[in-house]
Amino acid sequence: MTMTRRKALAAGAGAVALGAGGLAGRRLWLDREPPSPQTVDVHGNALWTNWTGHEHAWPATRLAPADEAELAALMPRAAAPIRAVGSGHSFTGLVPTDATLISLDRLNGLVAHDATHHRATVRAGTRLAALGEALAAVGQEMPNLPDINKQSLAGALATGTHGTGKTMMALHGGVTALRLVTPSGDVVACSRDQNPDLFHAARVGLGAFGIVTEVTLQNAPLRRLRKTTSIVETEALLQGWPDLADRHRNVEFLIIPFSGRALLITLDETDEPPVARGPDRDADGLMQLKLLRDLFEFVPALRRRAAAFFLDREPPEVAVDESWKLLANERPIRFTEMEYHVPIEAQVGALREILRRIETSRRDVFFPVEVRIVAPDDAWLSPFYGRESGSIAVHAYYKDDHAFLYDLVEPVLRAAGGRPHWGKLHALGARELRALYPMWDAAAEMRQAVDPEGRMLNRHLRRVFFDV
Amino acid sequence: MQFVRHAPAVVGGVVGAVVAVGALVAACSDGREPPRALSEAESAALAPADPHLAELYETSCKACHTVRDSLAPLTGDRTQWDARWAQGEETLLRVALAGKNGMPAGGQCFSCSPDDLRALTRFMAGREGAGQEGG
Repeated sequence: MTMTRRKALAAGAGAVALGAGGLAGRRLWLDREPPSPQTVDVHGNALWTNWTGHEHAWPATRLAPADEAELAALMPRAAAPIRAVGSGHSFTGLVPTDATLISLDRLNGLVAHDATHHRATVRAGTRLAALGEALAAVGQEMPNLPDINKQSLAGALATGTHGTGKTMMALHGGVTALRLVTPSGDVVACSRDQNPDLFHAARVGLGAFGIVTEVTLQNAPLRRLRKTTSIVETEALLQGWPDLADRHRNVEFLIIPFSGRALLITLDETDEPPVARGPDRDADGLMQLKLLRDLFEFVPALRRRAAAFFLDREPPEVAVDESWKLLANERPIRFTEMEYHVPIEAQVGALREILRRIETSRRDVFFPVEVRIVAPDDAWLSPFYGRESGSIAVHAYYKDDHAFLYDLVEPVLRAAGGRPHWGKLHALGARELRALYPMWDAAAEMRQAVDPEGRMLNRHLRRVFFDV
Repeated sequence: MQFVRHAPAVVGGVVGAVVAVGALVAACSDGREPPRALSEAESAALAPADPHLAELYETSCKACHTVRDSLAPLTGDRTQWDARWAQGEETLLRVALAGKNGMPAGGQCFSCSPDDLRALTRFMAGREGAGQEGG
C-alpha cells in the first residue's frame, strides 16, 4: 500500500515536472527571434525593414538628396514606385518598394523662425527628438507630441501622428504651410491661401502626393509641464475619463490586461522648478508584465492577483520639465500596433469590449492598451477630420502572434465608427475608407492630378486608393 | 513593478563586476588605460572625423546611441562596446544589416551602404581609424 502511494506520488510529481517542463519549452519556442529576411537580395540590393521588422523590401535604388532642388531634379527620372522614408516607424506597408527609396535624412534642421507669432519653418526630414531641442533653443514648442520621438516630421505628418489632450490637435493641426515636390519634379508651395486644395489633401498625405520638403508650424511658447504617472483601478478610471480629459492639458492611460489596473499619465503647465524624469522604467515594467504572462498564462486569476499586488505598490512618479522632454519617449522594445480613432462618445464602450475579448480569448497578450483623446481638425485625410476622437491602440510584442488585432480587435473598432491610424495596422481598402472620410473623393482626385501615373503608389497604397 | 527588478539587477551587477575586474586586469597587464564609462553628454559630443560619415551618424545612429534609455550601447563607451567588438567586425556588420533588439535593419540609416555601416560601427565602438586588430 505504501509502495503504491509512493509510486502514485512519484508519478504525480513526474507528471507535474513534465507539464512544467513542457510549458517552459513551449514558452522558449514561442520566444525565439523571428526569422530575418536576407540582408542582401539576389541582385545585391540591401534589406530595408520597418522598425518592427514585419515590413521589408530590397530597394534597387536608395537616394538621399541634400536639398529640395536635388530632389526635384531626380523625381521625374526615378523608377517607380517612388517611396520616401523618414524613420521607418510605420507599421503599415507605406514604405516598401523594390524600385526607389528616398531618405529624407539630409533634409533636416530649422530653416527660419518667427519669434513674434511662434512659428517655425523646418525641413521635413527632421526627427522629432531633434526638432524639440531645436525649437526649445528659439523659445518654442510643438504643443503636442506623439509617444515616440524617433519619427521624422514628414512621416509623422503624413500618417496623422498625434499625441493626446482634449484641446490638442494632432501634429498636422499646427501646419500652416508646406512645400511639396511632385512626382513630375514640380515644387509646389501650399497653405490655406496658396493651392489650398492641395494643402488640405496633402497635409496628411501618406507620402502619396509627392515628397514634402519643408513645413511651417504654428508652435507655442516653450512651457514647463508637470508629468504625473500613477497606477489606478481600471474601472474607476473608465468612469472618470471624461472628467480627467476636461481637467488636464494632456492625459492618457494604458490599461494593463489581466490586472484590473491601468497607468494614468497626466501633464499640466506649471512654474515649479524642474524635476528630471529619471531613467526610463517603462521597458523594465513591460518585461515584468511579460514575465507575469510567461508564468501565469494559464492561470489568469493568479496572474490578476499577482499583477494587482505588485502594481498597487508602485508609487506615483512626478517629473517637471520642458514639454518636449516629457511628452515623447524612448521605446527600445519592439512591438506592432493597431490604432483606430473612434467618435469620443463610442470610446469607452469599444474599449470595454476589446478588453473583454482579449481577457477571454488571448491570454498571451501582455502589452497595455493605450487610450488617448484628440481634438478635431480639417485636413481631408486626417482620421480626426471634423470630430473629437478617442484613440484606442492595441499592441503586440514583436515576437508574438498579432493576428488577434485583425480578428478580435478591428471588428470592434470598425463597429464603433473608427478611422484607422495611417501608420498602424488595419485591413481597410478604398471602399471602406471612402465611407469614413467625407472629403475622400476630393483628396483622391487631387492625388490623381499630381500623380496621374501612380508613381508614388506601392502595393499598400494601391489598396488604400484603388482597392487593388 | 519592482518585484523582479532587484533579481536581474543583482545578477547583472555581479556579472558586470566580474567583467569589469577582468577587463581592468587585462588592460593593466598590457599597460593600456582601462576603458571608462561615458556619460550621455560625453557620448553625444563625439562625431566621426569623416564629414560624410558625420552626416550619416548625426541623422540616424546618434538618435539612439547617445541615449541610455534606448538600451543601445553608447557611442565611444568601450565598457559597453569592447565585448561586442570582440565578436568580430563581420558579426557586427551582420547585426547592423539585419537589425537587432530595438534596432531595425540598417540601423535606421536608410541611405547607408554596408561600408558606411562598417565605418560607423567602428566609430561608435571607439575604434575609428583602426582595423580589427587596431584596439
